[in-house]
Amino acid sequence: MCVGISARVVKIDDGTALIDASGAERKVSAELLEDLEPGDYVMVHAGVAIAKIEGPSGEETAKLMEELNNEERTGDH
Amino acid sequence: MNERVTLAHGAGGQQTTELIDRVFKAHFSNPDFTADDAAVLTLDAGRLAFTTDGFIVSPCEFPGGNIGKLSICGTVNDLSCMGAKPLYMTCAFVIEEGFPMETLERIAAAMAATAKEAGVRIVAGDTKVAGRGQVDGVFITTTGIGRVMETANLSGSRAKAGDAVIVSGDIGRHGCTILLARNEFGIEAPDVKSDCAPLWSTVEPILRAVPGIHVIRDATRGGVGTVLYEIAGQSRVGICLDAASVPVAPGVRGVCGMLGLEPLYLACEGRIVIFAPKEFAPEIVKTLRSCPGSEDAAVIGEVTEEDPGKVVMLTEIGAKTLLPRPGGELLPRIC
Amino acid sequence: MKSAREIIDSYDGRPLRIMEVCGTHTHEIFRLGIRRILPPGLKLISGPGCPVCVTPCGYIDEAVSLALEKNAVICTFGDLIRVPGSKMSLASARSLGAEIRTVYSPLDALELAQSDPDRQVVFLSVGFETTTPGSCLAVRKAAERGVKNFSILSANKTMPRAYEALKGSADAFLYPGHVSVMTGTALYERLCAEGVSGIVTGFTADEILTALAAIVELSRSGKPFFRNCYPRVVRPEGNPAAVRLMDQIMEPCDAEWRGLGMIPGSGLKLRDRFAPFDARVKFGVSELRGRDNPACSCGRILRGECMPPDCPLFGKVCTPAHPAGACMVSGEGACSAFYQYGEKIDE
Repeated sequence: MCVGISARVVKIDDGTALIDASGAERKVSAELLEDLEPGDYVMVHAGVAIAKIEGPSGEETAKLMEELNNEERTGDH
Repeated sequence: MNERVTLAHGAGGQQTTELIDRVFKAHFSNPDFTADDAAVLTLDAGRLAFTTDGFIVSPCEFPGGNIGKLSICGTVNDLSCMGAKPLYMTCAFVIEEGFPMETLERIAAAMAATAKEAGVRIVAGDTKVAGRGQVDGVFITTTGIGRVMETANLSGSRAKAGDAVIVSGDIGRHGCTILLARNEFGIEAPDVKSDCAPLWSTVEPILRAVPGIHVIRDATRGGVGTVLYEIAGQSRVGICLDAASVPVAPGVRGVCGMLGLEPLYLACEGRIVIFAPKEFAPEIVKTLRSCPGSEDAAVIGEVTEEDPGKVVMLTEIGAKTLLPRPGGELLPRIC
Repeated sequence: MKSAREIIDSYDGRPLRIMEVCGTHTHEIFRLGIRRILPPGLKLISGPGCPVCVTPCGYIDEAVSLALEKNAVICTFGDLIRVPGSKMSLASARSLGAEIRTVYSPLDALELAQSDPDRQVVFLSVGFETTTPGSCLAVRKAAERGVKNFSILSANKTMPRAYEALKGSADAFLYPGHVSVMTGTALYERLCAEGVSGIVTGFTADEILTALAAIVELSRSGKPFFRNCYPRVVRPEGNPAAVRLMDQIMEPCDAEWRGLGMIPGSGLKLRDRFAPFDARVKFGVSELRGRDNPACSCGRILRGECMPPDCPLFGKVCTPAHPAGACMVSGEGACSAFYQYGEKIDE
């Protein structure tokens, strides 16, 4: 339903972004996002950049794991 | 001479002679290239390997090569995978009326260069011209004959439980290159070029270095995944692949990620898959890595007794799941 | 600190049914072998998250008729090419002379139309909220540019009503990562207040396993919960520009979900002022209804009431090469995934 790939914005020109996903490049629509800059990372689906990606992968899962472990420890159910 | 191939070039008269002389003979010339109806060769006694292959790739020129280079590599590699040193080849062309002469020259030049690199001689050929729309550009068929090394005993039915499965480099490059060259998806990957290459110079050293290799097969259409299923079926064994060990170039990964494709099923044209007793794996990998083009050679799995006929993947989380069987056309998965 | 794997492995509580509703989650869960490492108490069910699977059989018939009878160039995602209609698939239509082009983006279909003004180009617009904005962008641009030979055949759907229909099918949901990018998470907070638990997550092994561990842990209290396990891409407010665009170009309608039947208000169609870009209006296509095999268990499978191997057709009459029903039809369908990834490998 949602095959997406994260890619780096190489350049932006009038609503179209050239993106690079580990060496595969394509022009995609950037019209659904604001304030996009070269160097930003975006999630791309079917030729459209659908979100800016904030933060490195793994950070949020680590945070959630911490929360789960805390809940367990404090017996806070 | 005309800029484009015409029906007259195929009619058998003066224009045909011109075409053959100026495009083909000019590039393929060697002492064994026949001016007669057939090349007559003298070969020492022993086992000979003999094969044929047809080539229809579109577009006919792509990053890393063209249909001409492919046509030599394909047959050279089929022979090499039987442990046979490629000796002689023939090539037959069916060319579409209107095909640009310059492109044909580039194709012939690539064939000559590749044949030289592979140490093989083109000794006979044929040319036909078909009407516009009857072929797509140019179709090439090559046959090849080679001498099988005495110590080579290779067959798809010889894989045994405990064998290591080794691939000679990163996978899926040719299929990825052609996909991009057709430009249906607007994706470019500047670093991705076809891996198309003649492989006797890779196969011979490993056959000399290691006795008792069971299978060598070149991955072509259908990629490494298809080869694995073929061997699992022929040898009636299971294969367990380690997903993390399968080498894939970043650009190929990026394209597959965008289109939801599995790299194991993208075509290669310069990669061999080797099945050999486990204890020889380090030597094989070391020898491969010293050959140009095979620097990323790696052990990617092993042959098992369980699940005969099946190819199983050890995934990144350490679970075992089936590698889906090769299907028909490889289709992108988007929505 | 316990890892996600450890939390999952050590689960020995009451059976927990977890339903994922995104075809890409289905695909990745199978591909990564996540099902293989779950303890007996954790049951993963694949819900109706594959837009191809829930598209009615008649849709393919409409597309084939546009290609063969109206001589339109059909542009489609690759996912639809082999889906069988009542008589044939798009792939078979191609071998009969239909012009069927695979595209990566609906915007490519528009570009094709502009480069070939003499041909009518129809884009097969399927998908949920992740994909729909792309179709809307194509229609908006076509209108702005005055393109006369481009239209879409719409089968777009939305998830909210489907969750209503699926309440009770599972103890917790894995919400679709990229649909949520567009819609935001307010809906899931609302569902949580109504007693429905779920976690939004991404598509890596780490993200999926963490979400499963979170479901295991948070289910202990018996209180409904919602967490966003994919915050670097999914924002609470979603993508407002995408939501506005979808509202501008399309409006809700009733939609038939193959295997589930009619779900009111769960579909999207072009608003009247975009009628020139609606292939059904333009070509006078009447909505064709196909017939499903009565022995097909897809409806029950999509609702999580049984598993693919329970269907009498599974693996015998119904295989990826010859699919009988919705769930076998697409690379992301539950039955297809079960079959392809060899879920019977231990037998």
